[in-house]
Amino acid sequence: MRRFSGRFRSSLIIGLQGIRARKLRTLLSMVSLFLGVSAVVVVQAGASIAEKALLADLQLTDGIDGTRIVDMPPEPKAADIVISTLRGRADGVATLAVSAIVGEPGVRPVNEGGSPIDEDWGGGMVCYGDGRCEPDTSNGPEGAAIEVRLTALTGDVRVFRPFTQQSGRWLDFSTMPAMAPHLVLNQEAAKGFDRYRVPAEMRVTGASANLTPQFIGVVDDGDPQPRAYVRLDELTNWLSPASLGNGGAEMRVLLAPSTPVEQVLTTRLRGVGVETYVSTVESRKHRQKELTLMRLIFFSMAGLVLLIGVAGILNVGLATVGERIEEFALRRAVGTPRTLLAGIVLAETLLTGLLTAAAAIGVCVAGLKAVSMLIGDSEPLLHNVQFPWEAGVAGILAGIIAGVLGGFVPALRAAGIPIATVMRA
Amino acid sequence: MTDPLIRLTGITKVLKGQQEPRTILDGVDLTVAAGESVAIVGRSGSGKSTLLSVIGLFDRADSGQYELAGQDISRLPERRAAKLRSSHFGFVFQRFFLLKHLTAAQNVAMALVNGQGWLPRRERRARVLEALDLVGIAHLAKNRPARMSGGEQQRVAIARALVRSPRVLLADEPTGALDTETGALVIDALLAATTRGCGLILVTHDRDHAARMGRILDLDAGVLTERVAA
Ligand SMILES: Nc1ncnc2c1ncn2[C@@H]1O[C@H](COP(=O)(O)OP(=O)(O)OP(=O)(O)O)[C@@H](O)[C@H]1O
Ligand SMILES: [Mg+2]
Repeated sequence: MRRFSGRFRSSLIIGLQGIRARKLRTLLSMVSLFLGVSAVVVVQAGASIAEKALLADLQLTDGIDGTRIVDMPPEPKAADIVISTLRGRADGVATLAVSAIVGEPGVRPVNEGGSPIDEDWGGGMVCYGDGRCEPDTSNGPEGAAIEVRLTALTGDVRVFRPFTQQSGRWLDFSTMPAMAPHLVLNQEAAKGFDRYRVPAEMRVTGASANLTPQFIGVVDDGDPQPRAYVRLDELTNWLSPASLGNGGAEMRVLLAPSTPVEQVLTTRLRGVGVETYVSTVESRKHRQKELTLMRLIFFSMAGLVLLIGVAGILNVGLATVGERIEEFALRRAVGTPRTLLAGIVLAETLLTGLLTAAAAIGVCVAGLKAVSMLIGDSEPLLHNVQFPWEAGVAGILAGIIAGVLGGFVPALRAAGIPIATVMRA
Repeated sequence: MTDPLIRLTGITKVLKGQQEPRTILDGVDLTVAAGESVAIVGRSGSGKSTLLSVIGLFDRADSGQYELAGQDISRLPERRAAKLRSSHFGFVFQRFFLLKHLTAAQNVAMALVNGQGWLPRRERRARVLEALDLVGIAHLAKNRPARMSGGEQQRVAIARALVRSPRVLLADEPTGALDTETGALVIDALLAATTRGCGLILVTHDRDHAARMGRILDLDAGVLTERVAA
């Protein structure tokens, strides 16, 4: 223990004396390494942020990992069974989507077919034999109306798909169903309503009358198509559940992993001759290959930059040892073990590497904060983004690796200097 | 009877280069007792520095026996050699080899901060000042080498060699870069150490300095012979 502490303290003093005597050199090797470590930190931070964003998107559209998805053809008898099985349950939510047109009666919606507002899916064009096309006016003239996928929910779907509230509020499932159905729009639908002055009247195929909905909020659901969410029991005031299961409708049940509801539901549906398709959300697993590849490419690029930095630190390290040959020979002459000298040289570059890593991480944290503050409002990916800890770890690892790689050869050189140098100099 | 400090028997050093092997030391026998001073003289290239580097454990002999205070250390692993260099030997060279970025005191302390044991800061400072005092330049403790004369620098180097109270002082032409008077001062400092029981082996080209040693040995083409007083 005493021996160890003597060695350690000696090397600390010798190492610090060495660094203090060569401040400029230490700074130069830090500069050469700085870019390399920064590249590693930036790549790792970028990969982590992109991965989180990618997975967050998939969580919105598909559901969080592990969610069980039961799809079935939209048949009226299936709708009855689904609704009665899931009523009042928290571990499963049924979503039934139908087309609905909100706006002026008797006109064609601006986005016929429920396309995204700025895209034309080509619906409503009639083309003739001579290649001439013109708008199809058989459904009446285009007017102030928007077609949305109206999605009826038996419960709070956000347990499985964590929508983010953009404005207003979300559906409240704990109150009595309202007579005028409450609607929550997704961002695309909200964009349409923003742009066109659309009267609040809603046509749903099969409804006993046109409804007057109340819009209560906007969420981000990751869907590029305009959608509106509504409580199923508020919609069925106007529309028989059976008519929800019409052509063009979609029926899907989202379930918590390993809930008994799945077994009951599929058995009951099979009993009436409805086939179900069950799958599990595994976004991370499916994306793993792409993510790994992406990381690999970026890391090889960062690695190259780091290698240049290592070459720089190595260059400076070798030059320094060359300059210190007499010092090292002398230190060996007064009894300093050669392993200690090698250790000191290695420790000096390692320290340089770690200091550089700290500087690079600091700069990257500050940079990310600045970028997030400057353009975070227009770029949702960068809004309020945190510096990923993985990037910090990667930076420190890069610093250590560079320090060891750049210091190893100089350390061997230092250990190999013959003491007799001092007698023949 | 007590063992002599150093006893070399039949020490041979052969240089194996690209050319045919050359014998640098050819069966050297040498005995040095504690408190004794020995001068080694000889032509340039006769092997004086090589002999010192074998004695100082910088280098190993190819054959022969080396006893240090009765212990056979002919074959010693480098780790133990480093330890002995620290505990038993002090070195002074023709060039002073002071580190220019350190003060005189720090240069002397270098021999204490070598990974062989540890002294607390206060004790370290006391020993350094004591060693500088022995060579008469304690007042220069805070100066850097660039602001000292050659004689002062060499005395810092001697203080560095003395700071661990070595058993043997090895000096390779320590006055080679100094004028006669300053050189005499340096020899005084070295001889003072022998009065405290330290053995001294001095390699020199200077007859007067050699004459001040207890014995004079001639090295000629690797063969060491005692000069009999006329
Ligand atoms: N590393 C080496 N490579 C080649 N030759 C060497 C080496 N070391 C010593 N020699 C040779 O060994 C011989 C003895 O050298 P050494 O330095 O011991 O002489 P010296 O007596 O100290 O000479 P000087 O008085 O000039 O210092 C010389 O001929 C020298 O050329
Ligand atoms: Mg010589």
